[in-house]
Amino acid sequence: MNTFLFRKSAPLVALLGLGLSACQPDLENDVKPSAGSVDFSRYIAVGNSLTAGFSDNGLYLSGQQASYPNLLAGQFRQAGGGDFVQPLFQAGQENGSGYLRLAGFTSTGSPITANVTTSLALRSGATAARPLYTKYIEPVNNLGVPGIRLSDIETVGYGSTAGNPYFERITPDAQATQTYLARVAASNPTFFTNWLGNNDVLGYATAGAAASFLTPIADFTDKNTKVINALTANGAKGLVATIPDVTNIPFFTTVGPAFKATLTTNNVPAVIITTGGFNTSLTGTPPTRRTIATSTIRDASGNGVQLFTLTSSPYVALFGRPNNGKAWRDVYNQARPSLPAVVTLGLFLQLQGVDTTQAFGASNGNPIPSTLVLDDTEQATVRSATTAFNAAITAKANEKGLAIFDANTFFTRVASAGIITNGVTNTASFISGNLFSLDGVHPTPRGYAVVANEMIKALNAKYGARIAEVNPNDYIGVKFP
Amino acid sequence: MDSKFLLLAGGALLSATVASAGGYQVTLAGQKNNGMGGVGVGLSLDQAAMFYNPGALAMVRDRGVQVGVNFTLARNAYVAEGGSQQRELRNSTVTPFNLYAGFGPAEGKFRAGIAVYTPFGSKLQYANGWEGRTSLTDITLESIYVQPTFSYAITDKLSIGAGLMILAYGSVNLQRDIPLPDSFGHIELDGKAENKVGYNAGIFFKPSEKLSVGISHRSKIDAQVKGGDVSFTNVTSSFASRFEATKFDATLPLPATTSLGLGIMPNEKLTIGLDVNFVQWSKYRVLRFDFDKQVNGSTFSESKRYYQDALTFRVGGQYKLTSGLTVRAGGSYDATPVKDGYVTPETPDNDRISGTLGASYSFGKFGLDISGQYISIKKRTQTTQDLLNNGTTDRIAGTYKTNIVIPGLGLNYNF
Repeated sequence: MNTFLFRKSAPLVALLGLGLSACQPDLENDVKPSAGSVDFSRYIAVGNSLTAGFSDNGLYLSGQQASYPNLLAGQFRQAGGGDFVQPLFQAGQENGSGYLRLAGFTSTGSPITANVTTSLALRSGATAARPLYTKYIEPVNNLGVPGIRLSDIETVGYGSTAGNPYFERITPDAQATQTYLARVAASNPTFFTNWLGNNDVLGYATAGAAASFLTPIADFTDKNTKVINALTANGAKGLVATIPDVTNIPFFTTVGPAFKATLTTNNVPAVIITTGGFNTSLTGTPPTRRTIATSTIRDASGNGVQLFTLTSSPYVALFGRPNNGKAWRDVYNQARPSLPAVVTLGLFLQLQGVDTTQAFGASNGNPIPSTLVLDDTEQATVRSATTAFNAAITAKANEKGLAIFDANTFFTRVASAGIITNGVTNTASFISGNLFSLDGVHPTPRGYAVVANEMIKALNAKYGARIAEVNPNDYIGVKFP
Repeated sequence: MDSKFLLLAGGALLSATVASAGGYQVTLAGQKNNGMGGVGVGLSLDQAAMFYNPGALAMVRDRGVQVGVNFTLARNAYVAEGGSQQRELRNSTVTPFNLYAGFGPAEGKFRAGIAVYTPFGSKLQYANGWEGRTSLTDITLESIYVQPTFSYAITDKLSIGAGLMILAYGSVNLQRDIPLPDSFGHIELDGKAENKVGYNAGIFFKPSEKLSVGISHRSKIDAQVKGGDVSFTNVTSSFASRFEATKFDATLPLPATTSLGLGIMPNEKLTIGLDVNFVQWSKYRVLRFDFDKQVNGSTFSESKRYYQDALTFRVGGQYKLTSGLTVRAGGSYDATPVKDGYVTPETPDNDRISGTLGASYSFGKFGLDISGQYISIKKRTQTTQDLLNNGTTDRIAGTYKTNIVIPGLGLNYNF
């Protein structure tokens, strides 16, 4: 009986083997990557911190590896893409500029961050005020320079030791005075991405409109035209990205809601802030006071208009305390390098009309400094600049037939509805949302992966390509202790 | 026959399968039927009538014991929306089985019997790190029904029958990864279903030597797991306090099936069967797990299924070549119960087309049945927009395609 069964079943099993190999379905032919009308052999990425892979208020190796240009290049490789060199920090210096890490949470659930200060890439001669990093002089494909504004691209000496340390790092000594625009013009891409312009509004906004400046639209348009002309000079195809509305990022949406709740609980109807810049002249007048009703502070649902910066977190905790000069002392310390030598702390406070014996944030004498608040008028200024810059970016891209990733529309949607990646929910919330890093401005690796996918969708649509997307869930959100 | 023995046999042969019919239904209850596209409601072939139509049992000439086992070999491919990497299952072979014993007087008007079969089940093991890992990594669903059956011939043309359908064994093991901000944890839900009872009843009418019709109905049983085990692995210490559950409750409907069958016997050698099955999948609305303590802030999870009732059409025939050898062929078209935008990794379902072949050889009181099925589940794509439209973003967008090969072997002994 057994042998009979075996004799009968042996050919069946053999047949089965044949049947099974034919049985495995194959979908890969349906989804073969292709380049469409693009030549991806030499991809150059132009931009600022977002392009460099900046995260957690620093540039460091694992952030660089998750930069959106690096993720894109990895996908382009399936469709004829070439090598993509980034100015990576080397082992032993992998923490680069240093960065923020999450150290834990307070008993009330507020995050505690700490600076990573080991294995940095600082080189001799560097100071905390003016860091310099280990040089990377090989040719690179990723020209992302943290901090660069579009208004900086023609500045001679921007790559010198007195300039931007990240551009200085990748500037060869033989071309020490090369401008960023000249560096871009010499890069000779077959395909490029350009995402410049964020810092032309961001620095002004994150300083609560009390420092830095908005690039004039004429200057912005002129330099945007120059950089796109340089990139397309040899007929390269490319993608440009618009500037997101910065008021949607966790840097501005995290502290306000909690502060509003505390004020509401304590029946505090309003807080007092200063607006605009500080008074640095003996003949000037103290900054204008403004009373902000508690009800107008934006909450987690988006009701209200007044925004508090992430950096205001330690100060709003001091609200209402008399004899508290911490906020103004810190403002003075930050401003001191640019102040005349005669301006002492006491004189500085006098120039601002500040009397720190009064209740902090609740009195005209001890208001919340403007640097910690982006009020509705300042937001309107930032927004209209963003709109104008985006119009310039879009018009130039359309003129050259480039793909456009509308980062502004995209991040506005993410801020209101989040984005689900293969079943995983991500939002614009600080820390828990997975997309924004501990500085509240720059994306996490997950956030950069989502950006890369949106760019892929845009360029696939524009150029008839089929570049595959990455799985964002393969990239982390905020690293927990 | 002792039911404990039957259960022992069930334990020895794994009862699960990648579902061979729509949803997680398995219709591999008789080896002869398996070769004929799964028809049988309008026929009285052998003891497997207890499953297909208890009403036909009284018209089965032979009394005897028969056992069958099938080897379900599923091959699946998945590509995420916008992706280029094909994911394939970690392949596993599972063996749904059937066992029947029929008794009764040689010339009497009644037959009694007991049937053991595996009407529902599923087993899928997805590739490590696949895109849908937070929906599902592994699922094993098993069920064994034991069915004491009685059938009575009211006239020589009309017979009725019914069986007490006992969910004697049921189990679920479901695993998925948990998305944490900087890593993935893993949750495993493992439980046994409580014993439940339903019925399987049918009527069989054979107005002439050339024609027979049948109707049968198997009732719904809710497979209910109470106090199943929840275990977490790879949850890092920062998040451990959010994953406290140790027990879960869940209910999975094993839906009612109503079938209509027709048998045509143009001559003594040829038999043709036509069946339609109507499965009330619409009872499967949500898959809900209730936990004793929180899982990431919630004590339950609920996922939309919103299945729809589904029809299956079957056709098959057998031809008696010699006194010993009978050959079979057939096919079926199985409409999916899963609506667009509701496809989940645990049932990457779509309409199915199958072709079957079979043969029997009998020598004396023994008989050997072999059968082979090839099932092609149509390619199915769902987009992110589909998921957003239906509020089903707990699963993933992409394209699935599955083929299944099911060889089977049966032995029977007639008294």
